[in-house]
Amino acid sequence: MSWKRWSLKRSPWVFHVNTGACNNCDIEVVDCLTPRFDVERFGIKLVGSPRHADALLVTGGVTRQAAPRLIRAYQQAPKPCVVFAIGACACDLGIFHSGYHMVGPVDKIIREVDPHAIIAYVPGCPPKPEAMISGVVRALAAL
Amino acid sequence: MNDQELRGHIETLSDRLTGLEQPLRTRYYLTCEAEQVYEICRFLFEDVRARFVIATVIDNDDNYEIVYHFAVDERGTVINVQAFLRDRDHPTVASITPFLPGAEWIEREMHDLMGIHFEGHPRLERLILADDWPDGVYPLRKGGAS
Repeated sequence: MSWKRWSLKRSPWVFHVNTGACNNCDIEVVDCLTPRFDVERFGIKLVGSPRHADALLVTGGVTRQAAPRLIRAYQQAPKPCVVFAIGACACDLGIFHSGYHMVGPVDKIIREVDPHAIIAYVPGCPPKPEAMISGVVRALAAL
Repeated sequence: MNDQELRGHIETLSDRLTGLEQPLRTRYYLTCEAEQVYEICRFLFEDVRARFVIATVIDNDDNYEIVYHFAVDERGTVINVQAFLRDRDHPTVASITPFLPGAEWIEREMHDLMGIHFEGHPRLERLILADDWPDGVYPLRKGGAS
């Protein structure tokens, strides 16, 4: 294992990208940071810029307006970077499946620019904080 | 203003309307053609002092229907003005924004999504569709974009 991956698994800093979510997943992401779950004790920290991030937490199916912005955030994140598709919409568009303003689930947009991107899926509407923590643990274990 | 006075106010509009229904004490349905919308809404807003809630547009296959929702909070009454736009190729109606600034964004939204042209609107530009959305494609029209 390269030292980069080793260090990534110790304390993944995450950047939160909302690409058209209804805010429900975002609230659950914030829940992960509250004292009940307190993911900072594992070194998981929400940062303010994708340039500081080891992982992107993407919520919401990707809208036409948000797709270029998601790609820009992904390109600015240092690699290796794990992309977490949080929630049913981010995983497979959910109820917005045939919406005119949707261009695709998160993995499709990310794979267009990086076919070898590491993408983890946390389904649910919204996923529980436990599910998100479990998703992060499993993704890091798989690295 | 009591309920009789309110009914009297609304009845003065009757020569501009094609229909006036009051299924409940607190509910009015006024139907009209698109040409009369400006005067009816101006009367409700400025003379009856009704509050503009929102407007809705419906694609009825052979026409477009805009429903202006007004509320008279004092009487707990809701007034719906249903206006019909018969020209399907160029649906046009007078904008109510000049005297009712609260209608600006909903008219821009209806313009974006249904392609209704609001004459006299101060700023009829794209509001909610994506920046790269093609011109002349109106996603909520029947047989629309997706």
